[in-house]
Amino acid sequence: MERLLKLFLSIAVAFSALSCDSKRERAEAVYKRAIHYPQGSMMSINGIKRATEIDSTYDEAVRELSVAYLKRGLPHKWKPQIDKAIECAPSLWQGYRGYNYLWFYRDYKKAIADFDATDSLTPNFIDAPQGHSVDYWRGICYLGLKDYKNSIAYFDKYINTEIEESGEDWVEVTAFLYRGIAYFETENYDQALLNFEKQLQYSRNQSADAKYYKALIFKFQGRIKEAMVLIEEAINDYNIGYYNNRPYVETLRQIYPEDLDAFRSNLK
Amino acid sequence: MRTKKVFKILGIILGLIVITIGCFIGYGYYMFNSSLMPEHEPFEHASHYIDPETALLNENFKVCDENYIAQYYNTQELPYPNGKNRFRNYINLAYVNNNYSDSGYLNIRFIVNCEGEVGRFVIHENNLDLEPTTFNENLKKQLFKLTSEAKGWKPTVLWEENRDSYMYVSYRIENGEITEIIP
Repeated sequence: MERLLKLFLSIAVAFSALSCDSKRERAEAVYKRAIHYPQGSMMSINGIKRATEIDSTYDEAVRELSVAYLKRGLPHKWKPQIDKAIECAPSLWQGYRGYNYLWFYRDYKKAIADFDATDSLTPNFIDAPQGHSVDYWRGICYLGLKDYKNSIAYFDKYINTEIEESGEDWVEVTAFLYRGIAYFETENYDQALLNFEKQLQYSRNQSADAKYYKALIFKFQGRIKEAMVLIEEAINDYNIGYYNNRPYVETLRQIYPEDLDAFRSNLK
Repeated sequence: MRTKKVFKILGIILGLIVITIGCFIGYGYYMFNSSLMPEHEPFEHASHYIDPETALLNENFKVCDENYIAQYYNTQELPYPNGKNRFRNYINLAYVNNNYSDSGYLNIRFIVNCEGEVGRFVIHENNLDLEPTTFNENLKKQLFKLTSEAKGWKPTVLWEENRDSYMYVSYRIENGEITEIIP
Protein backbone atom coordinates (compact mmCIF):
# COMPACT_ATOMS: atom_id res chain seq x y z
CA MET A 1 0.00 0.00 0.00
CA GLU A 2 2.83 2.30 0.93
CA ARG A 3 4.53 1.57 -2.39
CA LEU A 4 1.38 2.32 -4.32
CA LEU A 5 1.05 5.64 -2.51
CA LYS A 6 4.62 6.52 -3.45
CA LEU A 7 3.89 5.69 -7.09
CA PHE A 8 0.83 7.96 -7.16
CA LEU A 9 2.80 10.75 -5.51
CA SER A 10 5.56 10.43 -8.10
CA ILE A 11 3.03 10.64 -10.93
CA ALA A 12 1.43 13.69 -9.30
CA VAL A 13 4.84 15.37 -8.97
CA ALA A 14 5.64 14.58 -12.62
CA PHE A 15 2.35 16.12 -13.79
CA SER A 16 2.81 19.21 -11.66
CA ALA A 17 6.32 19.60 -13.09
CA LEU A 18 4.86 19.43 -16.59
CA SER A 19 2.26 22.06 -15.78
CA CYS A 20 5.05 24.46 -14.81
CA ASP A 21 5.81 24.96 -18.53
CA SER A 22 5.58 28.54 -19.73
CA LYS A 23 2.66 29.71 -21.82
CA ARG A 24 4.84 29.65 -24.95
CA GLU A 25 6.09 26.13 -24.25
CA ARG A 26 2.56 24.84 -23.81
CA ALA A 27 1.45 26.60 -27.00
CA GLU A 28 4.41 25.13 -28.89
CA ALA A 29 3.58 21.64 -27.65
CA VAL A 30 -0.03 21.95 -28.86
CA TYR A 31 1.13 23.47 -32.17
CA LYS A 32 3.58 20.64 -32.80
CA ARG A 33 0.83 18.08 -32.31
CA ALA A 34 -1.59 20.04 -34.49
CA ILE A 35 0.75 20.16 -37.49
CA HIS A 36 0.87 16.37 -37.56
CA TYR A 37 -2.53 16.63 -39.22
CA PRO A 38 -2.73 17.61 -42.91
CA GLN A 39 -2.49 21.37 -43.44
CA GLY A 40 -5.92 22.95 -43.49
CA SER A 41 -7.69 19.90 -42.05
CA MET A 42 -10.17 20.49 -39.24
CA MET A 43 -7.91 19.05 -36.55
CA SER A 44 -4.92 20.99 -37.83
CA ILE A 45 -6.60 24.40 -37.82
CA ASN A 46 -8.35 23.71 -34.51
CA GLY A 47 -5.06 22.73 -32.86
CA ILE A 48 -3.23 25.74 -34.24
CA LYS A 49 -6.05 27.99 -33.07
CA ARG A 50 -5.82 26.38 -29.63
CA ALA A 51 -2.08 27.16 -29.59
CA THR A 52 -2.85 30.81 -30.34
CA GLU A 53 -5.42 30.83 -27.56
CA ILE A 54 -2.77 29.65 -25.11
CA ASP A 55 -0.28 32.25 -26.33
CA SER A 56 -1.70 34.92 -28.62
CA THR A 57 1.84 36.27 -29.28
CA TYR A 58 3.06 32.96 -30.73
CA ASP A 59 3.62 34.39 -34.20
CA GLU A 60 4.56 31.12 -35.94
CA ALA A 61 1.19 29.58 -35.01
CA VAL A 62 -0.69 32.79 -35.86
CA ARG A 63 0.94 32.79 -39.30
CA GLU A 64 0.45 29.08 -39.92
CA LEU A 65 -3.27 29.49 -39.35
CA SER A 66 -3.36 31.77 -42.41
CA VAL A 67 -1.53 29.45 -44.81
CA ALA A 68 -4.29 26.99 -45.70
CA TYR A 69 -6.56 29.92 -46.67
CA LEU A 70 -3.83 31.39 -48.83
CA LYS A 71 -3.39 28.16 -50.77
CA ARG A 72 -7.11 27.55 -51.15
CA GLY A 73 -8.19 30.88 -52.58
CA LEU A 74 -9.84 32.41 -49.51
CA PRO A 75 -8.25 35.89 -49.34
CA HIS A 76 -10.77 37.32 -46.87
CA LYS A 77 -9.70 34.67 -44.36
CA TRP A 78 -5.98 34.82 -45.14
CA LYS A 79 -5.52 38.58 -44.87
CA PRO A 80 -6.77 39.25 -41.30
CA GLN A 81 -4.78 36.27 -40.03
CA ILE A 82 -1.47 37.17 -41.69
CA ASP A 83 -1.94 40.75 -40.46
CA LYS A 84 -2.15 39.40 -36.90
CA ALA A 85 1.15 37.56 -37.41
CA ILE A 86 2.75 40.80 -38.58
CA GLU A 87 1.44 42.56 -35.48
CA CYS A 88 3.18 39.88 -33.39
CA ALA A 89 6.51 39.98 -35.23
CA PRO A 90 6.71 42.49 -38.10
CA SER A 91 10.37 41.89 -38.88
CA LEU A 92 9.67 38.19 -39.39
CA TRP A 93 6.46 38.24 -41.37
CA GLN A 94 6.08 41.48 -43.31
CA GLY A 95 8.48 40.34 -46.03
CA TYR A 96 6.72 36.99 -46.09
CA ARG A 97 3.37 38.74 -46.68
CA GLY A 98 5.02 40.62 -49.55
CA TYR A 99 6.09 37.30 -51.06
CA ASN A 100 2.47 36.13 -50.89
CA TYR A 101 1.14 39.35 -52.38
CA LEU A 102 3.56 38.78 -55.24
CA TRP A 103 2.74 35.17 -56.06
CA PHE A 104 -0.78 34.49 -54.81
CA TYR A 105 -2.32 37.88 -55.63
CA ARG A 106 0.01 39.32 -58.25
CA ASP A 107 -0.25 42.59 -56.37
CA TYR A 108 3.21 43.89 -57.18
CA LYS A 109 2.74 47.27 -55.54
CA LYS A 110 1.60 45.86 -52.21
CA ALA A 111 4.44 43.32 -52.38
CA ILE A 112 7.00 46.06 -52.97
CA ALA A 113 5.58 48.09 -50.07
CA ASP A 114 6.09 45.10 -47.77
CA PHE A 115 9.60 44.40 -49.07
CA ASP A 116 10.48 48.09 -48.68
CA ALA A 117 9.19 48.00 -45.10
CA THR A 118 11.70 45.28 -44.26
CA ASP A 119 14.51 47.74 -45.08
CA SER A 120 13.42 49.99 -42.22
CA LEU A 121 12.47 47.13 -39.90
CA THR A 122 15.93 45.56 -40.20
CA PRO A 123 18.21 48.36 -41.47
CA ASN A 124 21.48 46.43 -41.12
CA PHE A 125 20.29 43.26 -42.72
CA ILE A 126 18.93 42.24 -46.14
CA ASP A 127 15.86 40.13 -45.41
CA ALA A 128 15.29 36.92 -47.32
CA PRO A 129 11.65 35.85 -47.05
CA GLN A 130 11.13 32.32 -48.37
CA GLY A 131 14.84 31.92 -48.90
CA HIS A 132 15.59 34.77 -51.29
CA SER A 133 16.75 38.34 -50.80
CA VAL A 134 14.07 41.05 -50.86
CA ASP A 135 16.11 42.62 -53.66
CA TYR A 136 15.57 39.51 -55.80
CA TRP A 137 11.82 39.61 -55.04
CA ARG A 138 11.68 43.35 -55.79
CA GLY A 139 13.39 42.69 -59.13
CA ILE A 140 10.57 40.28 -59.99
CA CYS A 141 7.87 42.70 -58.77
CA TYR A 142 9.19 45.52 -60.95
CA LEU A 143 9.40 43.14 -63.91
CA GLY A 144 5.72 42.35 -63.28
CA LEU A 145 5.01 46.08 -63.31
CA LYS A 146 6.99 46.41 -66.56
CA ASP A 147 9.28 48.88 -64.78
CA TYR A 148 12.40 47.41 -66.35
CA LYS A 149 14.79 50.05 -65.07
CA ASN A 150 13.99 49.33 -61.43
CA SER A 151 13.81 45.60 -62.11
CA ILE A 152 17.37 45.60 -63.49
CA ALA A 153 18.57 47.82 -60.63
CA TYR A 154 17.27 45.40 -57.97
CA PHE A 155 18.58 42.33 -59.78
CA ASP A 156 21.97 44.11 -60.08
CA LYS A 157 21.91 44.80 -56.34
CA TYR A 158 20.97 41.22 -55.50
CA ILE A 159 23.44 39.58 -57.89
CA ASN A 160 26.36 41.86 -57.00
CA THR A 161 25.81 41.37 -53.27
CA GLU A 162 25.64 37.61 -53.72
CA ILE A 163 28.82 37.55 -55.83
CA GLU A 164 30.63 39.71 -53.29
CA GLU A 165 29.56 37.67 -50.29
CA SER A 166 29.48 34.10 -51.61
CA GLY A 167 30.41 33.90 -55.29
CA GLU A 168 28.56 33.89 -58.59
CA ASP A 169 27.61 30.23 -58.34
CA TRP A 170 25.50 31.11 -55.28
CA VAL A 171 23.27 33.47 -57.23
CA GLU A 172 19.70 32.19 -57.69
CA VAL A 173 19.83 31.20 -61.33
CA THR A 174 16.44 32.69 -62.25
CA ALA A 175 17.83 36.13 -61.32
CA PHE A 176 19.92 35.92 -64.51
CA LEU A 177 16.89 34.79 -66.48
CA TYR A 178 14.66 37.59 -65.21
CA ARG A 179 17.35 40.25 -65.58
CA GLY A 180 17.85 38.96 -69.11
CA ILE A 181 14.12 39.32 -69.80
CA ALA A 182 14.16 42.88 -68.44
CA TYR A 183 17.06 43.72 -70.80
CA PHE A 184 15.26 41.91 -73.63
CA GLU A 185 12.18 44.09 -73.10
CA THR A 186 14.33 47.23 -73.28
CA GLU A 187 15.88 45.85 -76.49
CA ASN A 188 19.33 45.74 -74.94
CA TYR A 189 20.03 42.42 -76.60
CA ASP A 190 23.76 42.26 -75.78
CA GLN A 191 23.09 42.48 -72.04
CA ALA A 192 20.11 40.13 -72.39
CA LEU A 193 22.26 37.50 -74.10
CA LEU A 194 24.94 37.79 -71.41
CA ASN A 195 22.33 37.04 -68.76
CA PHE A 196 20.79 34.13 -70.66
CA GLU A 197 24.30 32.70 -71.08
CA LYS A 198 24.79 32.95 -67.30
CA GLN A 199 21.47 31.21 -66.76
CA LEU A 200 22.61 28.39 -69.05
CA GLN A 201 26.09 28.26 -67.51
CA TYR A 202 24.62 27.58 -64.07
CA SER A 203 21.89 25.24 -65.33
CA ARG A 204 24.17 22.72 -67.06
CA ASN A 205 23.06 24.22 -70.38
CA GLN A 206 19.47 23.13 -69.79
CA SER A 207 16.88 25.88 -69.73
CA ALA A 208 13.98 26.10 -72.17
CA ASP A 209 13.42 29.73 -71.11
CA ALA A 210 16.95 30.98 -71.73
CA LYS A 211 17.13 29.21 -75.09
CA TYR A 212 13.69 30.50 -76.11
CA TYR A 213 14.65 34.10 -75.37
CA LYS A 214 18.01 33.68 -77.08
CA ALA A 215 16.20 32.32 -80.12
CA LEU A 216 13.89 35.35 -80.10
CA ILE A 217 16.91 37.67 -80.12
CA PHE A 218 18.59 35.71 -82.90
CA LYS A 219 15.43 36.00 -84.95
CA PHE A 220 15.42 39.78 -84.50
CA GLN A 221 19.08 39.79 -85.56
CA GLY A 222 18.33 37.70 -88.63
CA ARG A 223 20.28 34.68 -87.38
CA ILE A 224 17.50 32.29 -88.37
CA LYS A 225 19.52 29.05 -88.51
CA GLU A 226 20.88 29.59 -85.00
CA ALA A 227 17.39 30.48 -83.79
CA MET A 228 16.05 27.24 -85.26
CA VAL A 229 18.69 25.13 -83.51
CA LEU A 230 17.98 26.89 -80.22
CA ILE A 231 14.22 26.54 -80.37
CA GLU A 232 14.57 22.80 -81.03
CA GLU A 233 16.81 22.58 -77.98
CA ALA A 234 14.35 24.67 -75.96
CA ILE A 235 11.51 22.30 -76.86
CA ASN A 236 13.65 19.36 -75.84
CA ASP A 237 14.58 21.01 -72.53
CA TYR A 238 10.93 21.79 -71.89
CA ASN A 239 9.88 18.22 -72.57
CA ILE A 240 12.34 16.87 -70.03
CA GLY A 241 11.22 19.37 -67.41
CA TYR A 242 13.83 22.13 -67.61
CA TYR A 243 11.64 25.22 -67.65
CA ASN A 244 10.96 27.95 -65.15
CA ASN A 245 7.95 27.15 -62.97
CA ARG A 246 6.99 27.16 -59.33
CA PRO A 247 4.67 25.24 -57.01
CA TYR A 248 1.09 26.38 -56.28
CA VAL A 249 0.95 29.12 -58.90
CA GLU A 250 2.09 29.99 -62.41
CA THR A 251 5.42 31.77 -62.33
CA LEU A 252 6.06 35.18 -63.88
CA ARG A 253 6.67 34.98 -67.63
CA GLN A 254 6.08 31.23 -67.62
CA ILE A 255 6.51 29.72 -71.08
CA TYR A 256 4.32 26.99 -72.55
CA PRO A 257 4.83 24.36 -75.26
CA GLU A 258 2.47 26.25 -77.57
CA ASP A 259 4.68 29.37 -77.32
CA LEU A 260 7.67 27.34 -78.43
CA ASP A 261 5.76 25.54 -81.20
CA ALA A 262 4.33 28.81 -82.52
CA PHE A 263 7.77 30.39 -82.61
CA ARG A 264 9.24 27.38 -84.44
CA SER A 265 6.41 27.48 -87.00
CA ASN A 266 7.04 31.19 -87.60
CA LEU A 267 10.71 30.52 -88.27
CA LYS A 268 9.99 28.00 -91.00
CA MET B 1 -4.07 -22.72 -2.52
CA ARG B 2 -1.01 -22.19 -4.63
CA THR B 3 -3.02 -22.24 -7.88
CA LYS B 4 -5.36 -19.66 -6.42
CA LYS B 5 -2.41 -17.40 -5.67
CA VAL B 6 -1.04 -17.78 -9.20
CA PHE B 7 -4.44 -16.85 -10.65
CA LYS B 8 -4.62 -13.87 -8.31
CA ILE B 9 -1.21 -12.62 -9.46
CA LEU B 10 -2.10 -13.22 -13.11
CA GLY B 11 -5.36 -11.34 -12.58
CA ILE B 12 -3.52 -8.39 -11.07
CA ILE B 13 -0.98 -8.34 -13.92
CA LEU B 14 -3.73 -8.56 -16.54
CA GLY B 15 -5.68 -5.83 -14.78
CA LEU B 16 -2.62 -3.59 -14.72
CA ILE B 17 -1.95 -4.22 -18.40
CA VAL B 18 -5.57 -3.35 -19.29
CA ILE B 19 -5.41 -0.18 -17.16
CA THR B 20 -2.06 0.80 -18.74
CA ILE B 21 -3.38 0.30 -22.26
CA GLY B 22 -6.54 2.21 -21.36
CA CYS B 23 -4.49 5.07 -19.93
CA PHE B 24 -2.26 5.07 -23.00
CA ILE B 25 -5.21 5.22 -25.40
CA GLY B 26 -6.93 7.85 -23.27
CA TYR B 27 -3.77 9.95 -23.10
CA GLY B 28 -3.24 9.64 -26.86
CA TYR B 29 -6.84 10.65 -27.52
CA TYR B 30 -6.49 13.61 -25.19
CA MET B 31 -3.19 14.73 -26.70
CA PHE B 32 -4.20 14.41 -30.34
CA ASN B 33 -7.85 15.32 -30.02
CA SER B 34 -9.32 16.98 -26.94
CA SER B 35 -6.24 19.05 -26.12
CA LEU B 36 -6.29 20.50 -29.66
CA MET B 37 -9.81 21.86 -29.45
CA PRO B 38 -10.01 25.63 -29.07
CA GLU B 39 -12.04 26.97 -26.17
CA HIS B 40 -13.79 29.51 -28.39
CA GLU B 41 -15.52 28.83 -31.68
CA PRO B 42 -13.79 25.65 -32.82
CA PHE B 43 -13.82 25.04 -36.57
CA GLU B 44 -16.48 22.59 -37.64
CA HIS B 45 -14.95 21.88 -41.02
CA ALA B 46 -11.61 21.85 -42.82
CA SER B 47 -10.49 25.17 -44.31
CA HIS B 48 -11.34 24.07 -47.87
CA TYR B 49 -14.79 22.67 -47.08
CA ILE B 50 -17.57 23.56 -49.50
CA ASP B 51 -21.03 22.83 -48.17
CA PRO B 52 -22.77 20.57 -50.74
CA GLU B 53 -26.15 21.90 -49.57
CA THR B 54 -25.41 25.50 -50.48
CA ALA B 55 -22.89 24.97 -53.30
CA LEU B 56 -23.66 25.89 -56.90
CA LEU B 57 -23.96 23.19 -59.59
CA ASN B 58 -23.76 20.37 -57.10
CA GLU B 59 -26.83 18.46 -58.28
CA ASN B 60 -25.82 15.33 -60.17
CA PHE B 61 -22.18 16.07 -59.40
CA LYS B 62 -20.41 13.11 -57.89
CA VAL B 63 -17.04 12.92 -56.25
CA CYS B 64 -15.26 9.60 -56.42
CA ASP B 65 -14.24 9.53 -52.77
CA GLU B 66 -16.01 11.87 -50.40
CA ASN B 67 -13.58 10.90 -47.62
CA TYR B 68 -10.46 12.00 -49.46
CA ILE B 69 -10.45 15.09 -51.63
CA ALA B 70 -6.92 16.30 -52.41
CA GLN B 71 -5.72 19.82 -53.29
CA TYR B 72 -4.97 20.94 -56.85
CA TYR B 73 -1.32 21.51 -55.97
CA ASN B 74 -0.72 17.95 -54.85
CA THR B 75 0.60 17.32 -58.36
CA GLN B 76 3.01 19.59 -60.19
CA GLU B 77 0.93 20.49 -63.23
CA LEU B 78 -1.89 22.96 -62.72
CA PRO B 79 -5.22 21.31 -63.68
CA TYR B 80 -6.46 23.90 -66.18
CA PRO B 81 -8.10 22.53 -69.33
CA ASN B 82 -5.44 22.43 -72.09
CA GLY B 83 -2.98 24.21 -69.81
CA LYS B 84 -3.07 27.59 -68.10
CA ASN B 85 -2.11 29.53 -71.20
CA ARG B 86 -5.00 28.22 -73.28
CA PHE B 87 -7.44 28.63 -70.39
CA ARG B 88 -6.35 32.27 -70.05
CA ASN B 89 -6.80 32.80 -73.78
CA TYR B 90 -10.25 31.18 -73.66
CA ILE B 91 -11.34 33.47 -70.82
CA ASN B 92 -9.83 36.62 -72.28
CA LEU B 93 -11.42 36.00 -75.68
CA ALA B 94 -14.87 35.20 -74.31
CA TYR B 95 -15.10 37.75 -71.48
CA VAL B 96 -16.72 41.06 -72.31
CA ASN B 97 -16.23 44.12 -70.12
CA ASN B 98 -19.66 45.73 -70.28
CA ASN B 99 -18.40 49.01 -68.84
CA TYR B 100 -17.96 47.44 -65.44
CA SER B 101 -16.23 49.58 -62.86
CA ASP B 102 -15.49 46.72 -60.45
CA SER B 103 -12.05 46.03 -59.03
CA GLY B 104 -11.01 43.15 -56.81
CA TYR B 105 -10.61 39.40 -56.75
CA LEU B 106 -13.45 37.22 -57.92
CA ASN B 107 -12.54 33.77 -56.66
CA ILE B 108 -14.39 30.68 -57.81
CA ARG B 109 -13.70 27.53 -55.78
CA PHE B 110 -14.87 24.08 -56.81
CA ILE B 111 -13.99 20.40 -57.00
CA VAL B 112 -12.44 18.65 -60.00
CA ASN B 113 -13.47 15.03 -59.58
CA CYS B 114 -11.38 12.02 -60.52
CA GLU B 115 -12.99 12.00 -63.98
CA GLY B 116 -12.18 15.63 -64.70
CA GLU B 117 -15.74 16.87 -64.16
CA VAL B 118 -16.30 20.01 -62.11
CA GLY B 119 -18.98 20.88 -59.59
CA ARG B 120 -19.76 22.06 -56.05
CA PHE B 121 -18.89 25.70 -56.78
CA VAL B 122 -18.69 28.59 -54.38
CA ILE B 123 -17.87 32.22 -55.22
CA HIS B 124 -15.94 34.66 -53.01
CA GLU B 125 -15.94 38.35 -53.81
CA ASN B 126 -13.23 40.61 -52.36
CA ASN B 127 -11.86 44.03 -53.19
CA LEU B 128 -8.19 44.68 -54.00
CA ASP B 129 -7.49 45.06 -50.27
CA LEU B 130 -8.88 41.53 -49.84
CA GLU B 131 -11.98 42.66 -48.00
CA PRO B 132 -15.42 41.26 -48.84
CA THR B 133 -17.28 43.19 -51.50
CA THR B 134 -19.97 42.63 -54.11
CA PHE B 135 -19.28 42.48 -57.83
CA ASN B 136 -21.62 43.49 -60.60
CA GLU B 137 -24.07 40.59 -60.96
CA ASN B 138 -23.61 40.36 -64.72
CA LEU B 139 -19.80 40.28 -64.44
CA LYS B 140 -20.05 37.55 -61.82
CA LYS B 141 -22.47 35.48 -63.90
CA GLN B 142 -20.26 35.80 -66.95
CA LEU B 143 -17.09 34.55 -65.25
CA PHE B 144 -18.93 31.83 -63.37
CA LYS B 145 -20.47 30.54 -66.59
CA LEU B 146 -17.15 30.58 -68.46
CA THR B 147 -15.32 28.85 -65.63
CA SER B 148 -17.93 26.20 -64.90
CA GLU B 149 -18.53 25.40 -68.56
CA ALA B 150 -14.84 24.89 -69.42
CA LYS B 151 -14.26 21.23 -70.26
CA GLY B 152 -11.19 19.09 -69.79
CA TRP B 153 -10.01 19.88 -66.27
CA LYS B 154 -7.27 17.50 -65.24
CA PRO B 155 -7.79 15.31 -62.18
CA THR B 156 -5.05 15.26 -59.58
CA VAL B 157 -2.96 12.10 -59.81
CA LEU B 158 -1.72 10.69 -56.52
CA TRP B 159 -0.17 7.30 -55.97
CA GLU B 160 -0.83 6.58 -59.66
CA GLU B 161 -4.57 7.06 -59.26
CA ASN B 162 -6.87 9.85 -60.36
CA ARG B 163 -8.26 11.71 -57.36
CA ASP B 164 -10.83 14.37 -56.63
CA SER B 165 -9.31 17.71 -55.71
CA TYR B 166 -10.24 21.20 -54.61
CA MET B 167 -9.36 23.89 -57.14
CA TYR B 168 -9.90 27.63 -57.37
CA VAL B 169 -9.59 30.27 -60.05
CA SER B 170 -8.97 33.80 -58.91
CA TYR B 171 -9.71 36.61 -61.35
CA ARG B 172 -7.93 39.84 -60.46
CA ILE B 173 -10.10 42.54 -61.94
CA GLU B 174 -9.24 46.22 -62.31
CA ASN B 175 -12.00 48.54 -63.53
CA GLY B 176 -13.81 45.63 -65.10
CA GLU B 177 -10.73 44.25 -66.92
CA ILE B 178 -9.21 40.89 -66.03
CA THR B 179 -5.56 41.67 -65.26
CA GLU B 180 -4.51 38.32 -63.77
CA ILE B 181 -5.78 34.78 -63.54
CA ILE B 182 -4.38 32.93 -60.54
CA PRO B 183 -3.06 30.33 -59.63
